[in-house]
Amino acid sequence: MRNFLLPVMLLAACAALSGCSKEVTRQQVAEFIDHADDAARKRFAPEICELRAKNFTMHLTFHAERAREASEMEITRKLYCQQAGSFSQLRQYKLERKSIDIDMATDRRTALVTAEYVETMPYYEPDSRPATPDDFYHFQVVESVDMSIVGLEDGDVRFLSTRAEAHQTLVKKGEITLPYN
Amino acid sequence: MLLVMVGGFVVYKGMSKDDAPSRDFTELELAAGDAEHTGTCYALSTVLVANGVFGNALRTWTAPDKDNEAKWILTLESVQQGYQGPVHEFRKFTFEQVGQQVRLTSVEASKGLPTEIDANIDGLLEAPHGMNSTPVDRCAKAGAPGYQYPPK
Repeated sequence: MRNFLLPVMLLAACAALSGCSKEVTRQQVAEFIDHADDAARKRFAPEICELRAKNFTMHLTFHAERAREASEMEITRKLYCQQAGSFSQLRQYKLERKSIDIDMATDRRTALVTAEYVETMPYYEPDSRPATPDDFYHFQVVESVDMSIVGLEDGDVRFLSTRAEAHQTLVKKGEITLPYN
Repeated sequence: MLLVMVGGFVVYKGMSKDDAPSRDFTELELAAGDAEHTGTCYALSTVLVANGVFGNALRTWTAPDKDNEAKWILTLESVQQGYQGPVHEFRKFTFEQVGQQVRLTSVEASKGLPTEIDANIDGLLEAPHGMNSTPVDRCAKAGAPGYQYPPK
């Protein structure tokens, strides 16, 4: 019995030690970003939310097509997660990643990820009350550059913060074919 | 082992507890913003429920002083879609217990939203007035004094 217990204990100790590692690898970060993009494509709020650290903040600068000035906002994880919930109501959505750059910190505890995205989704006029998900006239194409700090929290890779700058273009509904998914 | 599990559960519950005022606090009558602090005839909880506790807004109760159960801040946050893009809106109501009343003592809000106490009290009372919400016992008798009460 003792002969059996020792390897099990050693294995458990090794697993615990690797779980407690405070360093993150480039490979881990790249896989994490792929996972996060997939979660966004699924628009599954619990998964999107789970990938954000407890003290996550998002700073967004948004250049709307019909606005003279950009709008800026900073939100906490709690509000970000609530927004992810409303995101799940979209029936048409496309997310394309155009580029990614991973810059590891010298201490390997965090990485700065710069990624360019293009999102396409329905645009509902701010004062409108859509009767159905199909009740819109334009698609919005949002090109953004996201700069995120990614690091470990309780042994798991998480977004610690994101700064995004987004530019919106409105395109007539008939000019784009976007499947329901 | 069972002891460790039970202990862990107790610690977890203790640490994960969301802050919120006690029922004794929210059952107090909300005072108006006038100089006399006239009672509005509605408990704070009645006003919050009538307002649908502010729809889809994110709600957070915080006690600025952990040892003072008589002062609470209710923060409401939401992201509104405007023509300029998404906009973060917030309102921060500070409520304080004074005697058998709860008073709205300050309001902070994002640009464009009112911060005057009177205007906010009037706004908060629209829903309970419109829904004929149940008044506090003091106002159940005809002729009992109340701010904007009975509603027209």
